[in-house]
Amino acid sequence: MGLQQNFQTEPVSRLSLRDPVIVSPHQTLRDAIVRMREMKLGCAVAVDDEHKPLGIFTESKLTQLLAQNGSQVVGETIGTHMTQPCPWVELTDPIVYVLDAMQLKNVRFMCVVDAEKRLVGLTGQKGLIEFVADHFPGQVMVQRVGGNPYPAQREGA
Amino acid sequence: MSSLTPKDPDAFQDPLENYDPKVYEDPLEEALAEKTVSEICHEPFVTISPDLPVHKAVEKLAGLHVSCLLVAEEGKLLGVFSDRDVLERVALEFDAVKDRPVRELMTNNPVYVYETDSSAAALTVTAACGFRHVPVLDVEHKVVGIVSPQRVTAFLQQHFVK
Repeated sequence: MGLQQNFQTEPVSRLSLRDPVIVSPHQTLRDAIVRMREMKLGCAVAVDDEHKPLGIFTESKLTQLLAQNGSQVVGETIGTHMTQPCPWVELTDPIVYVLDAMQLKNVRFMCVVDAEKRLVGLTGQKGLIEFVADHFPGQVMVQRVGGNPYPAQREGA
Repeated sequence: MSSLTPKDPDAFQDPLENYDPKVYEDPLEEALAEKTVSEICHEPFVTISPDLPVHKAVEKLAGLHVSCLLVAEEGKLLGVFSDRDVLERVALEFDAVKDRPVRELMTNNPVYVYETDSSAAALTVTAACGFRHVPVLDVEHKVVGIVSPQRVTAFLQQHFVK
């Protein structure tokens, strides 16, 4: 089965999902930044009492806010600055939904929810590229990167 | 019988006459193997000087709506400064670091690819090394572009069968 067909038939649950940084909309951006640093993740997801995603706060939004407002912004609440609605897919949706969202909506992260719309994970650009690499390890995972394109010294005798 | 006929020593014999080109089962696999990085869209890109103050670099990221700036001097890549650097090293320390040169807070020695590398190399940097933005250099080691995840996904979609 080709990769294109896999994209159309395999569910999102086959992607390597990340554990999201979960925050409350009442917490400050500082709290979210500390957690995002700890988990080495570029976004935090605000959820309600039922664990349903309310909005997402990303590192690119953080850059925008710092450029506009300076350091004071980190004391403000996530609820004020999170992006709503949060882009999401269900675990059972085909992976091509994620690919389309990356291309058409220019989003980097997508929340993954179960049938009750509760947050269960996070996926995004890296997850998609890792999925492609898993299909073609003979092409992707064997590449030399960052080396010199030609030898500095003549080879051979 | 022709096999016993002596060959004309001056006749041209193609050394690749028995060469069978590799057959790929998937058009995307063929693209990853046969197309080069230069065939993934890697322009436009933004370069900054390593002496630019951090707050100016942050304003540039925000104003141009890009996630990664290439830090270069006379065309040579020194590092990258991205949203992730802002998150990791700037956001909570903004007042203390905003006037420092970006060279002190950028990611040094980024993993890069050459424009002549196979397109799969750009995916390797993300899948194996974990970096989302991949600087592209020419054989003279000059910066010629950047491959972002959006550009990779656009490349993948180009090679899907419609």
